[in-house]
Amino acid sequence: MKLDELTKGVFKQNPIFYLMLGLCPVLAVSTRVDNALGMGLCVFFVLVGSNVIISIFKHRIPSQVRIPCFIVVIASFVTIVDLLMHGYAPELHERLGIYLPLIVVNCIILGRAEAFASRKSVFHSFLDGVGMSIGFMLGIVGIAICREALSTGKIAIFDCTIVPTFTQSPSVMMTLPPGAFLTIGIIMALINYKNIRKEGR
Amino acid sequence: MGEELKRIVGIAIPLIIICIISGAALTASYDLTKGRIEAVEQQRINESLSIIFPGASFTETDDYYSATVSGEEIGYAFIAEGKGYSGTIKTMVGMYKNGTISGVNIISQSETPGLGTRIAEPDFTNQFSGKRIEDVRLRGDGGVIDAITGATISSHAITDIVRERAEVVMNETR
Repeated sequence: MKLDELTKGVFKQNPIFYLMLGLCPVLAVSTRVDNALGMGLCVFFVLVGSNVIISIFKHRIPSQVRIPCFIVVIASFVTIVDLLMHGYAPELHERLGIYLPLIVVNCIILGRAEAFASRKSVFHSFLDGVGMSIGFMLGIVGIAICREALSTGKIAIFDCTIVPTFTQSPSVMMTLPPGAFLTIGIIMALINYKNIRKEGR
Repeated sequence: MGEELKRIVGIAIPLIIICIISGAALTASYDLTKGRIEAVEQQRINESLSIIFPGASFTETDDYYSATVSGEEIGYAFIAEGKGYSGTIKTMVGMYKNGTISGVNIISQSETPGLGTRIAEPDFTNQFSGKRIEDVRLRGDGGVIDAITGATISSHAITDIVRERAEVVMNETR
């Protein structure tokens, strides 16, 4: 039962492919695998932190001002991540650029605060946050792998080559917005195809 | 009236408390990272300076650095920034006293990954070295700088940013 709260975010209710929330950073930052990993880690920290804090204070937050309260908590976490990254991972901080502060308006975080953390116990909210962020990370890294491989012809994470160059004429388009839409669309189509086949059986 | 006031205060107080706690947490993390962030920024500027004037020592004036080699002033280094294709481009520029660019090093930019970001690569920035200020234009505009294919706006922006700031510094130091 408890494990279910963790795994639902990864598979059944994957934030990217099922809930389709938080797509803006997914489309924008998935140009490189290391950027995607960095974004995934930031979202992990912010989502788990805000889920836990909001769950702790859920009975003290009046429902009329719950959204401002959630946003203040989320924005604080994001600013803390921003400051820490600027100091300790300046290169990644620079590459994520504007998308780092924009985590505040990532709907998956506010969505989980509103739909889950403000109703459920602290421990369940923690599990939900961890599961959702892992699901988010899998999604964004998966898309980034496709895009980086096709746009640069190799995959390198923090200057360490994982997949050596396999083509000399990579497609620049994959690094641009159309590449993001194409990749996410094709992956979603495959997932839906699989689900429809499963239902039909 | 008393009831209504009580209701409003009851709503406002929790929000105020949350804001105060958040503010305190932010102040603490700002203080914690402040020194570190300043060091990172300063290090980046120092790296840029040593790339464009290797081996020189620098003294900071109001808005440029004066570069000296064995006691003699050879040129100026200054930060030029302006609008790129998406967001601000910030770059360190080195200029010899005679108005020739010694080097350009991009400090920060947020151009299109894979296209505009190539303005930060040595293949592009090395083109500026040894060029006169007035020649720092794209070939299409009568200059000597080759634009990056697919990133004409970014290339245009960086040449304008460098040239305009260099002209200002040149007039100041004359």
